Amino acid sequence: MNLSVKIGQSVFPNPVTVASGTFGHAEEFYRQEEVRSLGAIVPKTVTLNARQGNPPRRICETPAGMINAIGIENPGLDVFVAEKLPLLKGVGVPVIVSISAGSPDEFALMAEKLNAAGGLAAVELNLSCPNLQKKVLVAQSEDATTEVVRRVKAVCHYPVIAKLTPNVTDIVAIALAAEAAGADAVSLVNTFAAMAIDIKKRRSRIGNFTGGLSGPAIRPIAVRMVCETAARVKVPVIGMGGITCADDALEFLIAGATMVAVGTYNFVNPRAPLEVLNGIKAYLKANKMTDIRELIGSIQR
Amino acid sequence: MKKIQNTYTVISNAPINTVYHRLVLDAAQLAKAVKPGQFVQVKVSDGLEPLFRRPFSIFRARDGQVEILYEPVGIGTRILTAKRKGDRLDVLGPLGRPFTMPGRRVRHIVFIGGGVGVAPFMLFSDVLKEHKAEKLLLYGGRTAAHTFSLREFNRNGVKSMIATDDGSHGVKGRVSELFGQVPLGPDTMIYACGPKPMMAAVQQFAKQNGLTGEASMEEVMACGLGACLGCSIPTVNGYRTVCHDGPVFSLEELVFRA
Repeated sequence: MNLSVKIGQSVFPNPVTVASGTFGHAEEFYRQEEVRSLGAIVPKTVTLNARQGNPPRRICETPAGMINAIGIENPGLDVFVAEKLPLLKGVGVPVIVSISAGSPDEFALMAEKLNAAGGLAAVELNLSCPNLQKKVLVAQSEDATTEVVRRVKAVCHYPVIAKLTPNVTDIVAIALAAEAAGADAVSLVNTFAAMAIDIKKRRSRIGNFTGGLSGPAIRPIAVRMVCETAARVKVPVIGMGGITCADDALEFLIAGATMVAVGTYNFVNPRAPLEVLNGIKAYLKANKMTDIRELIGSIQR
Repeated sequence: MKKIQNTYTVISNAPINTVYHRLVLDAAQLAKAVKPGQFVQVKVSDGLEPLFRRPFSIFRARDGQVEILYEPVGIGTRILTAKRKGDRLDVLGPLGRPFTMPGRRVRHIVFIGGGVGVAPFMLFSDVLKEHKAEKLLLYGGRTAAHTFSLREFNRNGVKSMIATDDGSHGVKGRVSELFGQVPLGPDTMIYACGPKPMMAAVQQFAKQNGLTGEASMEEVMACGLGACLGCSIPTVNGYRTVCHDGPVFSLEELVFRA
């Protein structure tokens, strides 16, 4: 049974990965069977300089989901490369590093630093974090997406993945812009801008006032967006949004996703990615498929 | 790599009074591994409501069993009350940084617990039974109903004093009314666990009197593993996760905001 998939020139042993920000930098949990079985590891987004993140409260639970406004707390790219990356590479699973920056120049500088670090399977451009006090996200503009992807592609030695926001009128248009600018894949969706209110205190339940909604609650919207996007772009789509189990992941694969990422549910069940992988294998076997590519985009219309 | 995700069988789960419940799990591995101040993340629902696990400190760990003291206040704890003998629970743990064991030079150990925050001190006093220091528990609750028998603490050689907000048991007022009982000096070690205003009061008291101590903090948590960075609190060293950098912090490093 062939489960391997490709993004650009990078080969991944299977299509199951984790959404950035949900696997943290929790090094001591990186040596488990669960982790070694992943198709790729995507650690939490790093920025050029360290960020302390947003003030508490940073998360709240909502029906079948959560709102977060962590604010990309991270130690900065140089510390990440020096201290975290060697451990991640040591796991023996392809590593996709997620980066976020304030300008196309800064994105390009970070890509060059990652070239120097060596040994990555891909770089994901987080064009869509809703918690950075920016009025417009890169991935809310075709022009801004084009510019960032083009700048990074001009220097980056690795395949480049553009991570898109669902907070747009037409996500397909942004995906097409990323593809035209040279992106080797698009990943979707990031979180939905959201808020929840404590009615006793009449205050937001999130310290940053608003945050991003993720989890099973958003899955049907994410599946629809992946399906529409995969039908229009030629590059691989990495699908994510509320995956808890193999059945959920299969929806994304059938919709056209080449890879799938478990996100929020990692917080509930650290074993979820492994269970998703095992469930996909069982489904392929039950349906007499020998290659994951038979499944990808097999939606009947 | 130790296995931290396990399924344990419920031995019993019942109210101990009108406020608190006690859950007992058949959990030999956890009972052996857990240190005072550490916690577990319990998956209370098989479905998506509530989505997150619920964190609980460990009340007792002995004879292959682990006990959790809890107060049903929200959807997670209310669902937990329905668990019966023989039910299986998916548990992550033990998690987090435990209390620092008091050195031999410590002559006075003072536990300060508010409400259900007293729970980890039961296990701690079990572990410290042989420690030669004098042990004192200052215990605050809203009403007499929010307190429970401290006989087990006394059996462990812990003297105890109670304060209730309404004066229905012990001294009337907050647990800070009992701070006068704390022996002042460099050989006193304070351990606190309770609501934030209580922790802030303990920190201020310790600072004013030059005492050292630790506090076990509580925050809304998603993963419990230091991955999501959702439970971060401000400290003098920047934001730190309650689940992974804590839940136990030194009193000096905590920052309480009004």
